[in-house]
Amino acid sequence: MSTQTVTVDTGTRVRPATTGRRKRRGENRAGWGLATPFLVFYVLFLIGPTVYGIVMSFFNSSLQHSGLGGFAGPDNYTEALTSSDFWQSMWHTVLFTLLTTPPLVALALMLAIFTDRLSRGRWFYRLVFFAPYVIPSAAMALIWVWLYTPEIGLWDKWLTAIGISSPPNWLADPNWAMISVALATVWWTLGFNFVLYLAGLQEIPRELYEAASVDGASRWHQLRRITIPLLNRTTALVLVLQIIASLKIFDQIFLMTSGGPNYSTRPLLEYVYDIGFTDFRTGYAAAASMLYFLVILAVSLVWFFASRRPQRGA
Amino acid sequence: MAAEGYALSRRSLLRGAGLIGLGGLVSGCGSAFASGVAGTGPPPNTLSYWNLLGGGDGTRMQAMQDAYQKQHPNVALDAVVLAWGNPYYTKVSLATLGQRPPDVAISHLTRASILAQAGLLEPLNENELTPYGLTGDHFTPTAWNMAHTNGTLYAIPLDTHPLVMYYNTDICKKAGLLGKDGSLKNLDDPAALTDALTAAKKVTGAYGGVVSINNDTATQWRFFSTLYYQLGGSVLEDDGKTIVLDDAKAEKVLSLIQNLVKQGLIPTSVDYPGAITTFVTGKAGFYFEGDWEITTYETAKTPFSMTAFPNVFGGRYAVQADSHSFVLPKDPSRTDATRKQIFVFIRSLLGQSSTWAQGGHIPAWLPFQKSAAYDKLKPASNYKHVANYVRYDDRAWYSGSGSDFENIMGFAIGAVSAGQMAPVAAIADMRSKLVQYANTPSPV
Amino acid sequence: MSTIAVPRRRAQVRAEGRTIDWRARYFNWFCGSVLLVFAAIWVIPLLWAVDTSLKPDAVIAAHPTDWWSGSWTFHAYTELFSIGNIQTWYLNSFVIATLSAVFAVVACSMAAFAIARTQFTGRRIIYGLIAAGLLIPPQVLIVPQFQEFNAAHLLNTYWVQVLPAVAVPIAVIIFVAFFTGIPASLAEAARVDGASWWHIYRRIYMPLSKPAISAVFIFTFVWKWNDFLWPLLTLTNTRIMTLPVGLSQVSSAFGIQYAEIMASAVLGALPLILVFLLFQRQIVEGIATTGIK
Repeated sequence: MSTQTVTVDTGTRVRPATTGRRKRRGENRAGWGLATPFLVFYVLFLIGPTVYGIVMSFFNSSLQHSGLGGFAGPDNYTEALTSSDFWQSMWHTVLFTLLTTPPLVALALMLAIFTDRLSRGRWFYRLVFFAPYVIPSAAMALIWVWLYTPEIGLWDKWLTAIGISSPPNWLADPNWAMISVALATVWWTLGFNFVLYLAGLQEIPRELYEAASVDGASRWHQLRRITIPLLNRTTALVLVLQIIASLKIFDQIFLMTSGGPNYSTRPLLEYVYDIGFTDFRTGYAAAASMLYFLVILAVSLVWFFASRRPQRGA
Repeated sequence: MAAEGYALSRRSLLRGAGLIGLGGLVSGCGSAFASGVAGTGPPPNTLSYWNLLGGGDGTRMQAMQDAYQKQHPNVALDAVVLAWGNPYYTKVSLATLGQRPPDVAISHLTRASILAQAGLLEPLNENELTPYGLTGDHFTPTAWNMAHTNGTLYAIPLDTHPLVMYYNTDICKKAGLLGKDGSLKNLDDPAALTDALTAAKKVTGAYGGVVSINNDTATQWRFFSTLYYQLGGSVLEDDGKTIVLDDAKAEKVLSLIQNLVKQGLIPTSVDYPGAITTFVTGKAGFYFEGDWEITTYETAKTPFSMTAFPNVFGGRYAVQADSHSFVLPKDPSRTDATRKQIFVFIRSLLGQSSTWAQGGHIPAWLPFQKSAAYDKLKPASNYKHVANYVRYDDRAWYSGSGSDFENIMGFAIGAVSAGQMAPVAAIADMRSKLVQYANTPSPV
Repeated sequence: MSTIAVPRRRAQVRAEGRTIDWRARYFNWFCGSVLLVFAAIWVIPLLWAVDTSLKPDAVIAAHPTDWWSGSWTFHAYTELFSIGNIQTWYLNSFVIATLSAVFAVVACSMAAFAIARTQFTGRRIIYGLIAAGLLIPPQVLIVPQFQEFNAAHLLNTYWVQVLPAVAVPIAVIIFVAFFTGIPASLAEAARVDGASWWHIYRRIYMPLSKPAISAVFIFTFVWKWNDFLWPLLTLTNTRIMTLPVGLSQVSSAFGIQYAEIMASAVLGALPLILVFLLFQRQIVEGIATTGIK
């Protein structure tokens, strides 16, 4: 009975109007009632600020004055688009993404494949690789700054011990600073991709490998022809999650180099932070944020449409 | 099923431990919890104090805080040390906007004026300060002036810290630069300075002097601006809206620096700790920096003394400096009782200017600055007369210690020192970057 | 599974010759060694942090890179606790993370249930709107959100952290996916019996959704515990700070007291590592299932 009421709701009205309408109204009210708490928070703290941010970006708002400030029109956007600081920070964010994504995807895959082969002890490797992922960025930064400290840090000590007499000035050399932060980030976040890959690997039926080895396929062959193609979906997910996460970089760079040396590692989010909260220029910062939003949006949409293709084909 | 039981017992164990732990934490930090939930203020009789003084300065400040605490055991002093530079001022601003600022904070005078213009500081009524002896005639005039913004007092100066010249007494003696009484001969001339550095270089076999360059825009700016101010130049006017950088004067200074580097009299690549090491190990006879490294060299037992930075270009003496001062971030919920406590605290620290002066800074508190006790502090009091001739960074919303302005200027100057840019190119670089800031409407 | 496969393979190999078995063995050994090397590398930073934190500062100054110390001490830890801030930061982080996780689970599951099981008008549009919110990274909103909370005088309270963390689109999607997996007949049967929607949600669907609840709870908890930028901006009073923000200020206070700095890093890392150790299965399953979805 109730099932028929449900189908009637979306289609033609056959049921007696009173019962159906009352049921529908009750259902409507329940539905909206249940959804409202979420929607209130959603509008107030997600949609609202987004709209406010867009509006603010057209004004010369200031941090310590309430209200929108003077109307600036497109000036904030033109300033951002012509500001070398803005583009450099954008580049630093992109550079960071380029430096961290390949190792975080490839290395995680390799380690997951190796771990998957083990018959026991998997929990140990899962612990070792994933534990860093749960620690806060501040703890990670403190540890790695200590490791990177010139002369008395562990890495320098080991490098000089194996004969490299002048190790790079990890965090103070503009040529090395971003690489150093990238290395620390790989240590910190590899575990997440590792776990994703492990899960994906476990989905692959063992019979496929057995059948292949019966046919005489080598391990390497099995890897290339079975494992990796069947992991495509996982890889796509890992890739896009990694790229989007890398684009949002702020913590490690702020904590380890403060955007230096001489702003050579400052990512876009830190640029927004400096402009909005150190220079008090919230209107301009909002404009920079919106441009940054467009970049992330573009990446998300690319993945969104790319991941739909195989489904449509299938 | 066994797994379920295991999981359940683990969960209940955690729950139990969590409740106990939480209970302990809440009872111990009840006020923080209440504050977090209801936004209530801190318990009465606490005084929160933020500063950006690390290293040797930090140790001295800690000693002064401890002395205050002993004298006032009924006040719980909550002192927090934060990293030097822009991040400190961002945090102070955000805390003030967040309605929970510290009761009193250290601020450079150059930054205090910006915070004041942004409406983040409480104006100080000179009448309410009189009972504590905090009147204008008790402070260095230049500092007291700078502590006013648009005619209102916003800060109480603690000290003035100019750029000074450290010299290794052993090396200078061997180089024949010391007079019979042991004092350094007069270097108030570009040629005299260069000659002195050359003589020192002969003795050390490495360098004549050293200035920190790598990643240190602040020191580079101090070095350049002192010489530039001695030529009578300014950089910004009109609250930063107009750039009055004098190309000829700037080029004269940058060429001098470039020459010193080219002749190998000062290193072309050295960072802050490296410069200290160079001086300590006797590889340079002169070290140019703010006055705060005195403790470092005393601890390292380097044979050294300090004196005012020479008046290299003649004319009216000028030297770059800033001052530490006490400010009261705006807090509408601050009680009068707390205000009184703040002034008592400030007065107490000023009364300990002797401790503070041992760290090299020229105390702004005149009763001590003019005393014989201060005179006895050598080499700290050698340069005390420059306090009346210091030039603070030109006022602008993007200027001050650790600011974008210093970074822009320091970066270009550092490029010349490192041999990466010619003076003319550096000046063009400075101008092009400053113009962007000058044309931006002030957000404060 | 692989243990079952191997004997069969080996039996076949014995029929065909020993070479393949040797290659497989070698490959396994190779994988194992590489894994061990990487695991060793991965473990070093945390081990080194703990090692440094247990040495006296004098020993660190003299021999900064020696693993062994003649005189181990907990002094760094006792000093941190005596300063008193770290306990407060623990409390703040715990309260914020827990409140956020609880509110998020409740609000998101309610909305997801409404979308998945009640046919209220406009639910498709609402769901679309919520899914669109996936595209908005919270970092983009720091400036307008700061102004908003500033105007509401909520800065430096727990609420400035908790309130933005409640409406998380991905949590709704997780719950919707999970709820649609639970047969609709359950809900219908209950409706026939006169149960209210709230009852169905609370007493039928939620108890069956423990994996989704724990996934959302844990993710929100870990996210809010480790969140850095937003608390950096909005929790500026030292008594209200969360652990990561408090930690980031420690180094300037301690200068070159590396033992204290490492001790604070260890204390910062410890809570969530413990959480991970206790809830390994749920966390890993949570990642796996949401990833696969």
